Amino acid sequence: MNFLKVTLIIFLIFSFKFVNADEQDKRNQITKNLRCLICQGQSVYDSDSEFANSLKVLVDKKLNEGLSEDQIYKYFKDKYGEWILYEPELNKNTYILWLLPVFIFLIGGAIIAKSFIIKK
Amino acid sequence: MIYSLIGHYSLILGLIAGLVLFYLSFKNFKNSIFLNSKILTFTFLQFFFVVISFLSLVLSFIVSDFSNETVFNNSHTTKPLFYKISGTWGNHEGSLLLWLLVLTLFIFIFLLRTKNQPVKYKILTLVFQQLIIVGFFIFLIKTSNPFNYLFPVPEEGLGLNPILQDPALAIHPPILYLGYVGSSIIFSSALAATSLKMISPNWAVHIKNWILISWIFLTLGILLGSIWAYYELGWGGFWFWDPVENVSLMPWLALTTLLHCIMVLERKSSLTSWIIILSIATFTLSMCGTFLVRSGILNSVHTFANDPERGLFILIFLFVLIFLSLFIFFFFHKDEKLNRPSFSFLSKETSILINNWFMMYFLSVVLIGTIYPIFLDIISSEKISVGPPFYHKLIIPFLIPFLLMMAIGPKLKWIKSRLNDKIYLILLLLGSILLAFLILKNFNQNFLINTILISSALYLFFVTIRDFFIRKFENISQNIAHFGFSLLILSILFNNLFSSEIITNLKVGETFDNSKTKIIFESVDQKKEKNYDSIIANFKIQSSNGKKDKLSPELRIYNQPVIATSEADIKTTLMSDKFMVINLVQNQDFFNVRYQVKPFMLWIWISVILISFGGLISFLKKRL
Repeated sequence: MNFLKVTLIIFLIFSFKFVNADEQDKRNQITKNLRCLICQGQSVYDSDSEFANSLKVLVDKKLNEGLSEDQIYKYFKDKYGEWILYEPELNKNTYILWLLPVFIFLIGGAIIAKSFIIKK
Repeated sequence: MIYSLIGHYSLILGLIAGLVLFYLSFKNFKNSIFLNSKILTFTFLQFFFVVISFLSLVLSFIVSDFSNETVFNNSHTTKPLFYKISGTWGNHEGSLLLWLLVLTLFIFIFLLRTKNQPVKYKILTLVFQQLIIVGFFIFLIKTSNPFNYLFPVPEEGLGLNPILQDPALAIHPPILYLGYVGSSIIFSSALAATSLKMISPNWAVHIKNWILISWIFLTLGILLGSIWAYYELGWGGFWFWDPVENVSLMPWLALTTLLHCIMVLERKSSLTSWIIILSIATFTLSMCGTFLVRSGILNSVHTFANDPERGLFILIFLFVLIFLSLFIFFFFHKDEKLNRPSFSFLSKETSILINNWFMMYFLSVVLIGTIYPIFLDIISSEKISVGPPFYHKLIIPFLIPFLLMMAIGPKLKWIKSRLNDKIYLILLLLGSILLAFLILKNFNQNFLINTILISSALYLFFVTIRDFFIRKFENISQNIAHFGFSLLILSILFNNLFSSEIITNLKVGETFDNSKTKIIFESVDQKKEKNYDSIIANFKIQSSNGKKDKLSPELRIYNQPVIATSEADIKTTLMSDKFMVINLVQNQDFFNVRYQVKPFMLWIWISVILISFGGLISFLKKRL
């Protein structure tokens, strides 16, 4: 179980966001997580369509207004729906999405430990 | 015209050969001392007919026979010959014909090369394979015939999508399919062996060759697709967690799991149920991929024109196959419950189980991430996107113990062992952590997680390098593959962390200058080719250390169909790639310029080649 704890801690560290990237990096980071709605499977960052370019400008504007990353995501979500966010939020629609793989991992571990490994 | 006729009738003959094979197999199965020579003949004939059919389609493309609907939709007289030929499989109908070609080729080779196995087993494998083949024949002829006739005959074709007109992409589908479809043999053979209750070490040794073949091709196929995405899609990434990429990654994960697991079965009869499930899963995932791509459910760059009838057919076919395999599994397979194997904690078996455990987790992340949005859309009609951040968050933390296990696992012996030279292993671990810390010292974003990640990848790197020296040729294939994997993870990490990018707007003659890099937009050339016109922009790059480079990205306007594409210019060196791409901005006289320096790019490709090279050595070693 120690091993699981370590994994969990690492997981938490990883999801913790540090706030010291400069403006340009931050804009890239945000636009990478936004879907270009008129493209086929491209992010706003990757696309050069008019839609994507106007969104990049909008992200810059919002950053200048002093909005945080999460606030910007929320702004776009309210405006265009959840489809635009590449990282789905954890809510009643996505509990299965986020938690099922981890659940499968735990079950798998239990099966292996129980049926194959000799206990001391 | 004549080619279409030949191609069409060859398909029907191939289908008939399949039906005859069912009959012959049935007769031969009852008194099965020798394999009926007619079976081999008809298997060859079937393969032969599919080859003829395939060549007819290739010829139709070469001579631009627009009375053929597939050619009309996907070719044009001004295409270079190479892309006329590769256009054969750059579309739905042709790519399915290629599926069929590989299916029939593999079963023919299987019958030819399989010796020292019971005749009944060979026949049953053939029967299961024929089920798949006949299914695909019917699918092809009924819903996606590549030889549909058009009248009146059009003067000119509609052309091939320009982003598919590319050397890497021309060979990407055949290689990938050899891997995808190669797994069908594993599926058929596992079902046959289960029905005959002969899942044993002997079978494992025999089927491992086929697993290796599929695995090597699948690995290389994915690599080619990735290289293509890197330079053709034009924004410097190489893996986008695009649903269609995921769909090729899933069978790869299942196959890699199977490859590790089969090593246990090679030595003793255990884990049989698990191996059967994996064999079934690998091919089912390949089929699922075909279904998801061909039905057009997925939103992706790969989607060809498609219609719901095709998706429905594959879906039903898929369910039949899954149902059949589950039936055979539960009906015939008796698990070795009485002597359930148990492994000591420190043994190679356990480490392989842990590998399987993690691989299945990765597989479930990719699978759920890919199909969950579809389900949610159907159930609640709410649309969500699952993109890179999701996969990174769920996969990367688990990669750390996975990498450490990859380093230590192969050092353990079968059944029970003690970890030798612990001191070295600990020293190497400390060394790796120290080195990772030094590399990232001045880097402040996500410092902790990156240090841990790089430490564990470095650890695998050093442990495998050391093994090259102390273990020499013992387990060399495994060591190369694991070394390749550590190199892959390191290259991806460094590439991500140390890439730099400049995005700016420039007119001809203008210069961009920041403290480190100077970009001079020198001139613009125009070029006219047979199938496109292009604008070439010439840039000079000066970095602060005085190094100079010339880069000339292109904008192409293809004539058929009229689509504009950006062609990146890439200068590859051992340590880093310089990547530049331009775009036109509407109603403006400047170009949008993107310049990236991407360290260790070349090593990403090299490491994947190393990984598959490990597989190749394992395959060859068994022959010698």
